[in-house]
Amino acid sequence: MGAKEMVEKIKSEANEASEKIKSEARENAKQELGRSIKELEEEKKRFVEAEERKGVEEKERIVRAARQKARKLRWTVEEEMIEKTLDATLKRITSVKSEGFKGNSYPNILGGLIKDSTISIAAGSSADVEVEVILSEEDAAASYIDKAMLKNLTDEISNDSGVNVRLSLSDERMKSAGGVIVRRKDGEIEVNNTLEQRMARLSTSLREEIMKTLFTGT
Amino acid sequence: MAVEALKIIREGEEDGRKLLEEAKASVANILNEAEQEVKRLKESAREDEKSIASEISAKYIQEGKKEEVAIMETADTEVEKLKADAEANLESAVNVSLELILGVR
Repeated sequence: MGAKEMVEKIKSEANEASEKIKSEARENAKQELGRSIKELEEEKKRFVEAEERKGVEEKERIVRAARQKARKLRWTVEEEMIEKTLDATLKRITSVKSEGFKGNSYPNILGGLIKDSTISIAAGSSADVEVEVILSEEDAAASYIDKAMLKNLTDEISNDSGVNVRLSLSDERMKSAGGVIVRRKDGEIEVNNTLEQRMARLSTSLREEIMKTLFTGT
Repeated sequence: MAVEALKIIREGEEDGRKLLEEAKASVANILNEAEQEVKRLKESAREDEKSIASEISAKYIQEGKKEEVAIMETADTEVEKLKADAEANLESAVNVSLELILGVR
């Protein structure tokens, strides 16, 4: 082999080696790029899924807030109407005093309240019970409760409770739109059946009944 | 003559060595380009993520708002009916209330 042939051989081998090195590098780069693209695609997929979950949560939050707002709106109207009913009820007390209510005169209504109050005072007693009835200035002045009525009530309560009850009208006056306070003479037990107190005491059932009646058919 | 031949061979060897050096330089270049391309793809992906996030968020917010409008429309209608029913039943409710307060039930 001559020198020229040897040089050609060396160059050819070097060329071959050079191409092989470059080709391998290109292949490695291609594979590396492919892996990176695949990783980025996977990453993008996970990112989109996470963003979708966040989006759904945000949507649900908006919907929940709207439902809560709607419930509050409904509740506000219900409360307004209950308050309106209670206001109207208090205003009607005046006409109840003059016209009665559902066939019951106001003195009869007071009589019923006195009876209930006295029976609950008498319930815990075995001996005679002396009780006094306290009225508002207005009701006392109108003489809704007179001695004859107290006598009848006394008999009725004594018969019903089996306890000898004595009822009297107190000179003391209370501040109230109506109703009665019944107190044992010794002051130990008192039943407050003023209309305001009854309203407060019956608040829960009152509101339930009002709701039921107001929103029938809703 | 032999000296001349050796010189030619040595030059050939030198050319071969240069070729290999160039090839190595090319490899570094190829790898560097690949690295740059990966970096560019990653940056592009980060940019894409921002717009994807804002598109997805906007889509669900829009859906939520749409449902919100429907819910509030229904609520408004219901509330109007509630008010109308309550106004119509107000007198009865006052009577029920009086029955309880006055103890005439």
